Amino acid sequence: MAEKISVRQGLFIEDAEGGVLLANKCKRCGQVFFPKAIFCLSCSSDDLDEVKLSRTGKLYSFTTSNLPSMHFQAPYAIGFINMPEGIRVFSPLVIAEDKPFQVNMEMKLIIDKLWEQNGKDVYGYKFKPV
Amino acid sequence: MREVAVIGIGQSIFGKLSHMSAIDVGRDAVVAALKDAGVNPKDIQVAFASRMYDCWVTAQSILKEVGITGIEMVNVENACAGGATAFRGVWKDIADGRYDMGIAVGVEMITNSPLAGKLISPTKDDLDGELGLTMPGIFALLARRQMEMYGSTIEDFALISVKNHHHGCMNPFAQYKKEFTVEDVVNSHMICDPITLLQCCPMTDGAAAAVLCSLEKARQYTSRPIKVIGSALLSGEYMYRMSDITLSPLGSKTANIAYKMAGVGPEDIDLVELHDAFANEEILRYEELGLCKQGDGVRLVRDKETWAGGRIPVNPSGGLLSLGHPLSASGVRNIAEIVLHLRGQAGERQTPNAKIGLAHMLGGTLSGVEAGACSVHILAR
Repeated sequence: MAEKISVRQGLFIEDAEGGVLLANKCKRCGQVFFPKAIFCLSCSSDDLDEVKLSRTGKLYSFTTSNLPSMHFQAPYAIGFINMPEGIRVFSPLVIAEDKPFQVNMEMKLIIDKLWEQNGKDVYGYKFKPV
Repeated sequence: MREVAVIGIGQSIFGKLSHMSAIDVGRDAVVAALKDAGVNPKDIQVAFASRMYDCWVTAQSILKEVGITGIEMVNVENACAGGATAFRGVWKDIADGRYDMGIAVGVEMITNSPLAGKLISPTKDDLDGELGLTMPGIFALLARRQMEMYGSTIEDFALISVKNHHHGCMNPFAQYKKEFTVEDVVNSHMICDPITLLQCCPMTDGAAAAVLCSLEKARQYTSRPIKVIGSALLSGEYMYRMSDITLSPLGSKTANIAYKMAGVGPEDIDLVELHDAFANEEILRYEELGLCKQGDGVRLVRDKETWAGGRIPVNPSGGLLSLGHPLSASGVRNIAEIVLHLRGQAGERQTPNAKIGLAHMLGGTLSGVEAGACSVHILAR
């Protein structure tokens, strides 16, 4: 089996229910950052707590690309998801024939293989219609 | 701060020029600008050049071909706002009194670059870029929000492309001189829904150049110097500060700095050249530049206010959609278009009695930030 690597370190963890995205939240002003910020980019405080983002969010915008990108063959879908923690996450989307994308639809995070690179499986996050 | 004028403009042909080099097209633009200005190459004291792919010392490589060596030369990159950044660099040096005359050059050879035939992605190593974000992708996500928030339709976006291609038919330099209907645009190949092929700027090679001079000295060369009365350049803000991605404060913040410097408002502007890499974004820019109120952008194109001959023509050159978009060249090229109209030299597409024009560019997509760079220049005769 190919070695499994993450698209970036510290973005997410896998667990029995799938996975969660790792963010951090400023204890002074409350701003949430994903990916994590090294200190608060709003108020410069370095007192931040790690927070796990919710497993579901609402689709804010989406598109299906009919041309390939750096790592994905066409067609592939991308979008922004509004998370309950008050931030918007850019993510690849899973295309489900029976559930066409609609703004505000409920989307669930999954951790999945995104592409192969140098014989390794690169893992990351996607959102799919609930 | 001294007053600065544009006294010469020039561009190469725009198109797929893989038989040429960046030096060839850059030289063509520089020679045209020097000739237009009527200056000797030896009079140039400072040069800024911009290019994204795939090189170094671009200014030196081009200018040595035309007898310009041994002066301060600076090479800048700011994605699609690179050309405007080079122009602003020369403007600042002359306004500050360091030099009296300089040249700005923007050049891009897309068809010879690593980008040839690919969708342009965000900056190298960008997380969202690895996760599938591309230029048409981000503008499609914006288009979806425009449809959701303001009831814009794909036909509205298509109308922008119809308008700019109509304008391009009047520009001898345009890459695509062809009229299209809304149906043609809507039914062209789907790239990233709702963005179809004819709502995307093409892949283009080309170069543009401008000669700038202190206003005092400009009068030795021309009886009609075009004054640079406003110049602004800003980087984008964090996206987490935006309630909606269609409500980017970057364009309006940049425009307001330029308006304030120029002592004019949107109501004083006679024509606009702006970044229309994708048709839907032109509507957002109307609102950011203050040409109409928020959410009213669609009306401007439907009512023909932004068509040549309308209240405020936008992209009379044909814009990036029809003229083509050699990335770092476009920011110099669209300032040159404003100069042509202010001089009364824009031929069939001339904006009648144009006194003040505005050139806008937007450059670069990156994770978590609304855009890389936004530039606004205001020129007056």
